[in-house]
Amino acid sequence: MARILKVRPTKIELVRLKRRLSLAQRVQKIVKDRLSILTLEFLQIARECVKAKERLLSDFSDNYSALSVAVGYHGPIALEKEIVAAEGDVKILTGSRNIAGVRTPHLEMAEAGKSTAIGYSLADTSSWLDKSAEYSQKCLDTIVELAELQRSLELLGMEIARAKRITNALEYVLIPGLLSTIKYLNMKFEEREREEKSRLKRVKVLLERR
Amino acid sequence: MNGETPSDRILEEYFSAEFRVLNAHLPRNRKSLAELLKEEHPAVQLSDGTSHHFKRKELDYLAGILTSDEQEALLLPIIIKIAPGQNEIGVFSGKQNIEAKVLSQVLGMSVTGEKGAITMYKSQLSDVRAKLKTTTQYMFAAGDI
Repeated sequence: MARILKVRPTKIELVRLKRRLSLAQRVQKIVKDRLSILTLEFLQIARECVKAKERLLSDFSDNYSALSVAVGYHGPIALEKEIVAAEGDVKILTGSRNIAGVRTPHLEMAEAGKSTAIGYSLADTSSWLDKSAEYSQKCLDTIVELAELQRSLELLGMEIARAKRITNALEYVLIPGLLSTIKYLNMKFEEREREEKSRLKRVKVLLERR
Repeated sequence: MNGETPSDRILEEYFSAEFRVLNAHLPRNRKSLAELLKEEHPAVQLSDGTSHHFKRKELDYLAGILTSDEQEALLLPIIIKIAPGQNEIGVFSGKQNIEAKVLSQVLGMSVTGEKGAITMYKSQLSDVRAKLKTTTQYMFAAGDI
């Protein structure tokens, strides 16, 4: 049974409790809605995360095949020489975005950071190296996307747990406590009324006897 | 004396604070799509002081389906209003109702709005959010849509 709050049995207290109950019920409805929205977002991001991982694995596998053929064709030393020349900086735009009150990271590969110029000699290398470079770029894009998705997933998960705690506290502790206290106060007032009535009756009888 | 225990008071304050921060993520000022497309890092400032960044891909998608006049008029992020315990959700729309055009494109069905608001079903929300992740934002309302 829900715990009855220690309050003075007065009408003012009853009004105050009713006000608290209405606030708690309003908050409960909104928090529940927020919880459903957060869950929807969580599931959507989880699905995207799975897709991104699958894409990354397939790109890595393609890249590995292309690179293996290129190594066999050019030899490791010649290929390394070409690859070193093709090295470049990666630029990632960072920021944050907000999903129903949860601050999640925003990561995006900057267009300027993508290697548009091929650093290696096209005349001295085979098309396998071009393919490998193309797959590497794809992998890089997906890694950045996956980082954003996974962190968002973690943050949303934590927020869902917090929102669940709030709804549980409201549903199983605060609202039942308020309801039973209101019921207790109502019973108390009715009892007082009955006492008052019987007292008046007794007084009436005593007055009639005189 | 009011008879409240400290834990009751803490709970009460906690829930009141929760109510206050529910919509703290809404933008202070919305920006037009045309304005955002010109920015190097498209973002808006939120009421809690943080910023909300838009994905360039989404902005380009919206630019692709709207004319230049509509791009000037469409304010981002698009606000999705969630009312407690209801199966319907509302989307705020401007005078030209460009939001309805965007949602029609996204959902692949005609969407109409009345009195500055478009009504959708919650089940359609995931389709909208899948395509417009950063260009839409939730608003939790205490009353009806």
